[in-house]
Amino acid sequence: MNDGQAVLLADIQRPIALFAQGLYGHFLHLKPIEPAAREAAGADGENQHGESIELPACIGQFQTRSHNLGAYRIAVLRQIGYLADGAADFTLDGARKRMSVLPSAPSAPDLSELERFLALGSRPALLRRMFLTLEGARIDGLIAQRYPGAAADLARVRARARAQRPNTVAANAVVKAVESLILYSLGGERSGLPGEWLALVDSVLAAGADVYDSACSAVELCRAIDARFHLRARTGLQSADAAPADDAQESEYFSAPPDVASLGLDFSAELAVKIVGARHHRGGQVGGLQSLSSRVITSGTPETSAQEVKSPDGGEAARALAAALPQEPSRSYLYDEWDYHTRAYLRAWCRLYEKRLRGERFDFIDDVHRRHALLAEQVRRQFGFIRPEQWHRVRRTNDGDELELDGVIEAVIDRRVAGASDSKLYVRRDRALRDVAAAFLMDMSASTGFPLPAPTAAGSASDAPAEYAPYFYGGVDDIPPVAAQPKRRVIDVAKDALALMCEALRRLGDSCAIYGFSGDGRERVEFLVAKDFRDRLSAQTWAALAAMEPLRSTRMGTAIRHALVKLLREPARMKVLVIVSDGYPQDHDYGPDRRDDSYGIEDTACALREAERAGVIAFCVTIDPAGHDYLRRMCADSRYMVIDDVMALPRELTKIYRTLTA
Amino acid sequence: MASNDAASRLLVEPWYLPVGDEVQMFEAAYRSRLPVLLKGPTGCGKTRFVEYMAWRLYRHADSPHREIERPLVTVACHEDLTATDLVGRYLLSGDATVWMDGPLTFAVRSGAICYLDEVVEARKDTTVVVHSLTDHRRVLPIEKTGELIDAHADFLLVMSYNPGYQSVLKDLKPSTRQRFVSLEFTYPGVEVETRIISHEGGVDAQLAQRLALIGEKVRNLREHGFEEGVSTRLLVYAAQLVARGITPRRACDVAVAGAVTDDPHVREAITAIVDVLLP
Repeated sequence: MNDGQAVLLADIQRPIALFAQGLYGHFLHLKPIEPAAREAAGADGENQHGESIELPACIGQFQTRSHNLGAYRIAVLRQIGYLADGAADFTLDGARKRMSVLPSAPSAPDLSELERFLALGSRPALLRRMFLTLEGARIDGLIAQRYPGAAADLARVRARARAQRPNTVAANAVVKAVESLILYSLGGERSGLPGEWLALVDSVLAAGADVYDSACSAVELCRAIDARFHLRARTGLQSADAAPADDAQESEYFSAPPDVASLGLDFSAELAVKIVGARHHRGGQVGGLQSLSSRVITSGTPETSAQEVKSPDGGEAARALAAALPQEPSRSYLYDEWDYHTRAYLRAWCRLYEKRLRGERFDFIDDVHRRHALLAEQVRRQFGFIRPEQWHRVRRTNDGDELELDGVIEAVIDRRVAGASDSKLYVRRDRALRDVAAAFLMDMSASTGFPLPAPTAAGSASDAPAEYAPYFYGGVDDIPPVAAQPKRRVIDVAKDALALMCEALRRLGDSCAIYGFSGDGRERVEFLVAKDFRDRLSAQTWAALAAMEPLRSTRMGTAIRHALVKLLREPARMKVLVIVSDGYPQDHDYGPDRRDDSYGIEDTACALREAERAGVIAFCVTIDPAGHDYLRRMCADSRYMVIDDVMALPRELTKIYRTLTA
Repeated sequence: MASNDAASRLLVEPWYLPVGDEVQMFEAAYRSRLPVLLKGPTGCGKTRFVEYMAWRLYRHADSPHREIERPLVTVACHEDLTATDLVGRYLLSGDATVWMDGPLTFAVRSGAICYLDEVVEARKDTTVVVHSLTDHRRVLPIEKTGELIDAHADFLLVMSYNPGYQSVLKDLKPSTRQRFVSLEFTYPGVEVETRIISHEGGVDAQLAQRLALIGEKVRNLREHGFEEGVSTRLLVYAAQLVARGITPRRACDVAVAGAVTDDPHVREAITAIVDVLLP
């Protein structure tokens, strides 16, 4: 490997993902090819929706950086080929239409139809190798035809793949023959292979050839190989040019797993089977999200920390959330993470899945108004006093800073023609426009599911100032007594606060977005969108906000970085990010030692610094009484607030926003 | 000004390739004098379509409206456009004042098609001036002269706007939009776009098809900082640069990648798409 010219997937992941999306037509999750053990552990995105492609984490086998980049492009094009024109739609019925003698495949719900096909016959390993060889050749042929500009990169990658094939000098005749076929399929020499074998390879390169042509030719090649070597051997008609069959050698050859490092390039067709398998599992995974959410919320581990508690109404919340998360393609993004131990970023360390929330409580805002009638009115009044923060020229006014020349000329003309004129001749500078975009990022960790203590009779509404009254059950006439209310949780109060904010900002004309986040390891940071900047406030928006439920952990840095990306896309002059949380940032793999909270705090602090550098005003609000301990390590004193009484969150949040933007 | 004059006279048939039934629909609307709203992304051919239809209705050999000197009056709307700009104003001429028709009044009097391009750019109170022209009354009141002009029998009002990039604030008022029949435009498919690029850009069909494919693929990225993807107009520009001797990759770099985005990653992705699709 030429390290100096090597290309890391982490460095090019966004442009290469966009390249893939452009050519494929839909978003594709981009994943580094992982060792089998890691995959088996389900490390990457088992809950994702949408399709994915896998690419090597690094390509440095070629001499120049542009060649290595070209190899990445070939890897993408091949997998797009498998998805769009390849094995992804393979069915046994389709194959049977071409091969009438195809034996019936045993039922195996866990296997895709392609995998069941490849398990057929007496020599499934040979069939698999032949099919993948031919399918790889077919897709390479399509790439050459459709993407003429990729021809040089494709030729280079194929030449390298040929050079990487094993030495078969000491191999038996079957292995030699198969290797010769593979080399030929990769653009190598004919190597004395029988003409009919070569014709079978060539047949998949013909215009219009599809995956079933690859399957048919693979079966034919298996028959031909069997006939030439094994059948003759068994009947005593051993040919002079064939070595005796060596089952052990063959078995080792066929069963050797492909080298993970070379999967994306030299053995890319292996990925075709994975792609089909993944699609099969997604298709058959009814309620995949539901099962995930149930697991996330109800499974306590021995290592569960104070922050990471079992949700009090876990099952119900999981079901609600599963319903709220749409069964539509999500998008995933890779983000760096700051490792304060090494003082360096871990490149593309965290995978964040962005999903839309959907809900059914379309009357949520009415409930909020009922709960916070007084505060809603106060917020409306207070926000009415916020002065716009940008000057705007108003033309043709009766009074103003300067005369408007066009207006004066017209007035003179009008006076001459009609003897009268308009008196609106001035230009005035008004503070008439606000230009603010605000994103609210809400912690949806499991601890936000804590039930809040029911208010006691003493010190409730009667003792509290008027503006506190709405937060106390029974304190206001139109709120039913305590006994009639379900227990309120931290997240419920936070949702109320965000709903009130949203309403106020609509009146103010500020653009706003509401996001929630949670974490379940670096490969599964969830970013849930209740309202995006472009969304209008509607019943659907309120229902989505109401659908926010406690999940798992608090991988805050990644969520802040993603919110920052979304904020920076907004054209507003002033950008504000308000993070609402109930505890310190933590996740089960947020740092090498989960007992050390510094890693998460440092990463979050770094993400907040990134926001400030990008010109975004970031502000943290926490309801954790111990918040001072870590917030002062994350941001300046003026950039955070600790709220002792969670019930005061709606009032404090609106106050904070006014201070930040007025 | 001379070229604008020539354009409004429509002396040469504009080249337009129909994509669907838009020609028949527009002709039917014209026969009933129904105002037409053209919706579609930038550079998809709305203006060319109006020019073509104006030629077809006013300049075609068997057109009964051939005597109209300027069949198409186009107004590029902007936020400072006032009702006065559309209707007309008094101007000083020596020691006197002279009334000068605005483009709308000119079209109303002469029986031309008045085409308000990107109408949502104009202030909403400006567009209200067309209301009385778009219903059964077909009249234009001119406040300053005290006139109430009955529209010429051949007059037609056409407006265009681009729903894609308009913000909520820049939407048409329902009271305005519901006075028009609406024709929706989008970018054509690869086959039609190939013919357009080849004809307008002066390149062979093979390169034109490659450019059309680039357009199709780049439009898959339209949410990444550019709302509408690459327009047919930009693809034609790329072709025209190639016809002038620029290499296709360089032409796509300046006319496609550089023109649609400032995001370096998106630009890099577009360049890669161009790279693999071009021979």
